[in-house]
Amino acid sequence: MAQIDPTAQSLAAASDARSRGRLESETIAGIVIFLLCILLIVCARFISPALGGWSHAETTLLLASFLIVVAFGQGLVILVGGLDLSVASMITLGGVLSTTMVGSYDAGAWALPVVVVFCSLLGGVSGFSVAYLKVPPFIMTMAMGVIVYSACLGYTKGSPRGAAPELFIDLMKAEWLGIPVAIIFVLLFALAGWLVQKHTAFGRRLYAVGSNQEAAYVAGVHVRRVTLSAYVVSALCAGFTGMMLAGYANGATLRMGDSYLLPSIAAVVVGGSSILGGRGSFIGTVGGAILLTALSTIIQALGVPQGWRTVIEGMIILIALLMLREQLYQAITQLFSRQH
Amino acid sequence: MDKSKQPEAVAAWGLKKSYGATVALSGVSLAVQPGEIHALLGENGAGKSTLVRIFSGILRADDGEMSLFGQSYRPQSIAAAREAGVTTAFQELSLLPNLSVAQNLLLPKMVKGRFGLNSKAESEARARDILERFGIAHLDPRREVSSLALSDRQRLEIVRALSREPRFLILDEPTAALAEVDWVFDHVRAVAARGSSVLYISHRLGEVRELCSHATILRNGQSIDSVELSDADNDDIFRMMVGRSVFVGGQANKSAPQKTGKPVLSVEGIKSQILRDVSFVLHQGEILGVAALEGQGQQGLFRILGGVEQADEGRISRAGRIGRFKNPHDALTRGGVAFVPEERKVDGIFPGLGVTPNITISILDRLSRGGVLSAPREARTTRQVAEKVELSNRYLAFRINELSGGNQQKAILARALATGAQVLVLFDPTRGVDVGTKQTIYAAIRAFAAAGGSVLLYSSELPELVEIADRCLVIYGGRVLDELVGAEIEEQALVAGVTGHARQRQTTPERPLPLCEEAPAQ
Amino acid sequence: MTVTTAQPMAPGWKRALSDGAMIITIVYLLLYAIYASSEPSALSVFSISSLINNTAPLALAAAGATLVIICRGFDLSVAGVVSVTNVVMAVMPLEGPWGALGSLAICLAIGGFIGLINGFLVAYLKLQSIASTLGVMIVCQGVALVILDAPGGWVAEWVSYELTDVLFGFLPVSGLILLGVVGLWLLVLRSNLGLAIYAVGADETSAGLSGIATRRVRLLVYVGAGLLYACAGYMLSAQTATGNPNAGTPFIILTFAAVAIGGTSFAGGSGGLIGSMIGAATLMLLQKVLFSTGVASFYTGMFQGLILVLAILFRGSIVALATRRGSG
Repeated sequence: MAQIDPTAQSLAAASDARSRGRLESETIAGIVIFLLCILLIVCARFISPALGGWSHAETTLLLASFLIVVAFGQGLVILVGGLDLSVASMITLGGVLSTTMVGSYDAGAWALPVVVVFCSLLGGVSGFSVAYLKVPPFIMTMAMGVIVYSACLGYTKGSPRGAAPELFIDLMKAEWLGIPVAIIFVLLFALAGWLVQKHTAFGRRLYAVGSNQEAAYVAGVHVRRVTLSAYVVSALCAGFTGMMLAGYANGATLRMGDSYLLPSIAAVVVGGSSILGGRGSFIGTVGGAILLTALSTIIQALGVPQGWRTVIEGMIILIALLMLREQLYQAITQLFSRQH
Repeated sequence: MDKSKQPEAVAAWGLKKSYGATVALSGVSLAVQPGEIHALLGENGAGKSTLVRIFSGILRADDGEMSLFGQSYRPQSIAAAREAGVTTAFQELSLLPNLSVAQNLLLPKMVKGRFGLNSKAESEARARDILERFGIAHLDPRREVSSLALSDRQRLEIVRALSREPRFLILDEPTAALAEVDWVFDHVRAVAARGSSVLYISHRLGEVRELCSHATILRNGQSIDSVELSDADNDDIFRMMVGRSVFVGGQANKSAPQKTGKPVLSVEGIKSQILRDVSFVLHQGEILGVAALEGQGQQGLFRILGGVEQADEGRISRAGRIGRFKNPHDALTRGGVAFVPEERKVDGIFPGLGVTPNITISILDRLSRGGVLSAPREARTTRQVAEKVELSNRYLAFRINELSGGNQQKAILARALATGAQVLVLFDPTRGVDVGTKQTIYAAIRAFAAAGGSVLLYSSELPELVEIADRCLVIYGGRVLDELVGAEIEEQALVAGVTGHARQRQTTPERPLPLCEEAPAQ
Repeated sequence: MTVTTAQPMAPGWKRALSDGAMIITIVYLLLYAIYASSEPSALSVFSISSLINNTAPLALAAAGATLVIICRGFDLSVAGVVSVTNVVMAVMPLEGPWGALGSLAICLAIGGFIGLINGFLVAYLKLQSIASTLGVMIVCQGVALVILDAPGGWVAEWVSYELTDVLFGFLPVSGLILLGVVGLWLLVLRSNLGLAIYAVGADETSAGLSGIATRRVRLLVYVGAGLLYACAGYMLSAQTATGNPNAGTPFIILTFAAVAIGGTSFAGGSGGLIGSMIGAATLMLLQKVLFSTGVASFYTGMFQGLILVLAILFRGSIVALATRRGSG
């Protein structure tokens, strides 16, 4: 055993120190993003005295709760290397279905299982097409989004009626010991989401599939089943968000989901997940969602018009993509070292 | 070598190249005279293809110098390398399947016709000229490359490199898919006769001896030596390639050659695209080796046993049950067969994930209760199996892509061991790992067999089979050609077998036959 | 020496047609027959030219998207470019034929610039095309909102009249423009760039090893796409005669649907612009047919989505059949 390559050993030792820092980088990135959120909210005081306080933080967290729930599902789909563009319509479906259930049939909390069944079926169809029929994910979910939206449009004849289930009005409006129930809920949800992603067999398999689909298959993972379930969870989360939004506004609109599609992707990307899958943590995504929401409340307070807000949103996605690229530095140096 | 006597046509000094922490080349020097056909020899992962890529202008060396016919040579792109007169026929073939033969030959620029537009007719005429000139006029220039047989694609790749009248021609495994090599040899010799230099890469030493005068041997990214082939015998060359003598070791470890346990896995009449009726039985406590040249169907056989692919015909019996494995999960849970695939990067590791998740991916159900993973149980299991493959505990928290190739391979073997499967199906588990790691992997395999497990092992290195296998199947042309037991497993017999010479009992050839037999064209 | 039977490959334009474009042309004609049987006026010059006018923006946008998809990429920025060019046309109407030409130049500059950004991000910085063009699209939509925050404005009269007009009593101007794009594409097919686009889409590594400057090809493809989206925005403005900051949004799904039913594979390296343009025409015709057969307009989205998925599945099963026959 004296033949062990000495260079290999010194190399291993060298990479030892470096990568100890690397593996913790995910944690550090998480801390940084939360610090940024706090900093942003505190600094908002300079913009307007109404901002920057505890109530501002509370509002931000409450508004972010919708995004956090959608982004969990979106994050799982991105984790397996896909993209879910149907979340906007699924939110609308959740909202429309629950309010009309209450309005027309006085269904109350029974709206919940109905939404669950519908959303998981539709998410299952998307997942099945992606996993088994090999339809490109973003095409499939885009088509599903259009189909579901058009169904909602036809079903409501253009104007949804009815009221939200009491359960969801309570969830979004009630307080417990002076803390809004929604905030307690979303904190528990974040904890549960993190557990599912990092500490369950299911979560582990999602990472494996996203990291290397071939290897996951060879290692005995049911790749297609795992992929399919990510889409089901995403549709469920979006449908649930729709019910939360309906509870918050006590009613549904057909366009209620639109403003969550792109932010749901942005939150995941800003939170440090790789858009190519296999990497990321839900804690980062939660941070990303809060950061985006805080940013948008502040921009709103500044009276920035919608157009500029959209521009900033797009820039954030691009900047996050650029910053996350590991080869970015390499590409740039290559660009300048090459003459042509 | 005396430099002043004759200026080299091509020379390189101290080339280095690394990708992050992985060192691909750590000092390669070589010199080729005008009109010389120079061989480049080395094991998989020795750095041959990196060197080819640097010469071809695809990669830039981190350090070192190159010269071409007396001038400094530092190509910035493939186009620049071509401009300088360097052309390459790549091992992995660089043809575009959706374009025609003519288009592939003339890329990136077609022949212009009227109005500065590309003329299809004239491009095809030029392509036909080229095909005729190089003796493959049977290829229709209008045909789409995807419809060509592999051997014709290989010919096209070679002709494309030849047709640019190179001053320095690089051929990377040009005969891998060809049944007869005279065609290649004739044209390569013609190039050399013009005074151009040729770098010829092949794992078939017989071909190399026939064609080349000199050879440079690479090992672990370094050029070990350049030799005149007429002065060096195969043993010398193998020793330089591997870093130790091929015939050392081996027999000593095989105290009791046949441990005939009860049969645990039997394979009957497996047929697939390449495999033609393969049957054998694997016994308890046995290490059954498989020897074959590349492309004899062994890949398919192992993937079928791992449940990754399906056989067209035939059945696998395991523990009294008969049938087939639907998928790897089925092979693992129902069959108790754990498969370690060939391509570590493609089928093996999860880059970006830690070493622990990489090891435990196949046993998550066992480590969790109600779907929730038990961290202590996972850590304990991982430590236990990491110990078996001597993977240091400090690596367990790393991301697997930050480990060396050898440690990655240990982790993948650990994954298979962790499953508790009683049958391991290992495809070339020591490819591209250093000697120390090889010994560790052998030890782990032996320990597994000693504890009552059974192992089916393919290796591209015959000495490895000599050292570790209790019994060895020789596969040639999709069939089991021969079976060697215990002390019969020696390199000469294996070399004869893998090249298609069935052994005649009692007669042992005195010298190893050169590795010059052809793989049948697919 | 064995002589293999020749299987000649179709030349450029024939190949462009045979690659799925043939099927969609037949589908289109069948659909038109249905339309004509329910709507007798369908064969009049007026309804044909209005159909072509309706089709032009989508056909141009689909042509651009096809370029990128042949090169194995996705480009969502189509919505952004169409919106921005549309609002620019509405906010800054330039009258007369020279004004129209000036507007076209401005639109092309916008589209080319956005394409350049996309191309740089994808080809040189190696960002994933869906994600980066998504970011660019959002920025563009923001810019469109900044320029015009609500639907309104007027497009120059010359543009909205002349470009939707019919020449010599039978030749719609927008049809002429589409023919121009087809002609250009046929020229590109006969150039080294055209070949390189297919090569890069099929196998970027091999294309690089064959001496193709893959990054430059990719960049040019995105710029070309941007220019075509700009033309789409220009023609849309001519047709609607007004500005809408969200004018481009419906284009995302429709262009991908047009490309998919036009026979271009999302795996890259095959297909062509002509198929996508006929695909676009089919989608617009389908809307008319659905309307004339009395299906509530609420459900057109549902049909579009279904057609998109079915087209991909249909193509996938044809490919699967072909490869099975090839290997067996």
